Amino acid sequence: MAEFNRIAGEREMPYMKLDPRTKMVMVICLSSLALIYNTPDRLLLVLAATVGLLLIFRFDPSAIWGYLKPFLSLMLILFVIQCVFTRGGEVLLAVGPVPLITSKGLSIGAGVVLRIVVITAAAMLFTTFSSRDFILGLVQWRVPYELAFMVSIALRFLPVFRDEFINVITAVQLRGVELKKVSWGQKISMYRRLFFPVVYGAMLKAQQLAVAMEARGFRAYPRRTYLRRLNLSSADYVLMLFFTAATLMLIGINFTT
Amino acid sequence: MSFLKLSQVTFFYPRKLKPALTGLNLGLEKDEITAIVGPNGSGKTTLTKLMIGVLQPAEGEIQLEGRPIAGYSLAEIGRRIGYVFQNPDLQLFCSSVAEEVGFGLTNQGCEPATVEEKVDFYLDYFELAAYRNAFPLHLSQGEKQRLAIAAVLANEPEFLILDEPTIGLDAYRKKLLEDYLKKVARLGRGMLLISHDAPFVNRMAERVVTIENGRIQSDSGRKGNAVYEA
Ligand SMILES: Nc1ncnc2c1ncn2[C@@H]1O[C@H](COP(=O)(O)OP(=O)(O)OP(=O)(O)O)[C@@H](O)[C@H]1O
Ligand SMILES: [Mg+2]
Repeated sequence: MAEFNRIAGEREMPYMKLDPRTKMVMVICLSSLALIYNTPDRLLLVLAATVGLLLIFRFDPSAIWGYLKPFLSLMLILFVIQCVFTRGGEVLLAVGPVPLITSKGLSIGAGVVLRIVVITAAAMLFTTFSSRDFILGLVQWRVPYELAFMVSIALRFLPVFRDEFINVITAVQLRGVELKKVSWGQKISMYRRLFFPVVYGAMLKAQQLAVAMEARGFRAYPRRTYLRRLNLSSADYVLMLFFTAATLMLIGINFTT
Repeated sequence: MSFLKLSQVTFFYPRKLKPALTGLNLGLEKDEITAIVGPNGSGKTTLTKLMIGVLQPAEGEIQLEGRPIAGYSLAEIGRRIGYVFQNPDLQLFCSSVAEEVGFGLTNQGCEPATVEEKVDFYLDYFELAAYRNAFPLHLSQGEKQRLAIAAVLANEPEFLILDEPTIGLDAYRKKLLEDYLKKVARLGRGMLLISHDAPFVNRMAERVVTIENGRIQSDSGRKGNAVYEA
């Protein structure tokens, strides 16, 4: 569990103490924009805004790279697939009469990759407050405790899946398989073979955690009381309103132009 | 020249002020069985992860066969050093027990017939033959441990690092493992054992290194017959 806390945050913020709910609204806004936008230029702007926020919350944006690195080859595969299978725009590269890369394909491919980067970066905001505050915030908004708890567990599981993936990649290489040098075909077939056991293994571990939680009395008390209350400050209200309004406006503009 | 040589190695985990290892010097030879002992959290596992290039030192240098370890890929290190993780769950990733044992051989281009033969041998020796088609993570703890060891031994690396290999093994299986490791050692292959199991260390090790708080506390050096000093 120490591993969880290290990643899921329990870090103190020396300044800029915002309510976790405000940050949740920010994450939802940024991710919605990332999902709706599909051109690289707009997605880059969203990315810049996200990185700016992370800097304000004293989160080192270079850590995002650590989260994305293990998925680099998957992202590359996605990029190539989008590039090759999207038709339209100018033909940039053709093999005989068959257009291979088009400007539209390139832009959609870049969009897909940027979208993953933005959502990962936005999710980093979750690591700047503790999971306890997260649950507390949701419960005060009358979200049932079980549901709030499940959401926070799901968030804690993202790093578990990532670590699982890193472990397997390391273990495979230590068995003497050169992952960096093999061809793309071999790499893809390796990922395909490992996908099921790895996902299933991660699920087994999640199941063990769930059993451990119940054994320690989760669900035992339907009514809970809390020592602390989170209070929204005026800065929280202003920022939440600002982010929601700005996002709705940007989405509106996106669909009317 | 030592097979593995650590010079002045210091290592920090991210966001930790206290180093996990401090100014460590250690040479390991290919013709001896070394054991590292020490209390929980003294840095034993960290030390072995540095030796296989999974972690990189903040200061100092690690050499494998006289060359800096940074110049090897993980796969190149893995072909020379067989590593059994402290937690077997971290290194089982195939969909069946037999595939797990044959994984390294198959991917290094062994003939299917040779792979089959070796897989059968290791499954028999470690008494896993009955589970050959089972899903590795469904095995019992001791069975997973044996499978992790078998999968590494099947690659026949020149050097072995085993982090707590006897954990979860019953007395009979522990004896089987000991016999096999001694046989491997007689073939001239080196070994590093990490263990809290004093009788096991006592029976196996020719050299015992004690580490505490990330520093080497004592090093028995090579002994004719292993004597364990607590
Ligand atoms: N991933 C990590 N991040 C931060 N600190 C870590 C990490 N892994 C280990 N540590 C810390 O480094 C120190 C050494 O840990 P290590 O796992 O090397 O100990 P060990 O000697 O193998 O212990 P054990 O006998 O329990 O296996 C411990 O204080 C531990 O808390
Ligand atoms: Mg250990």
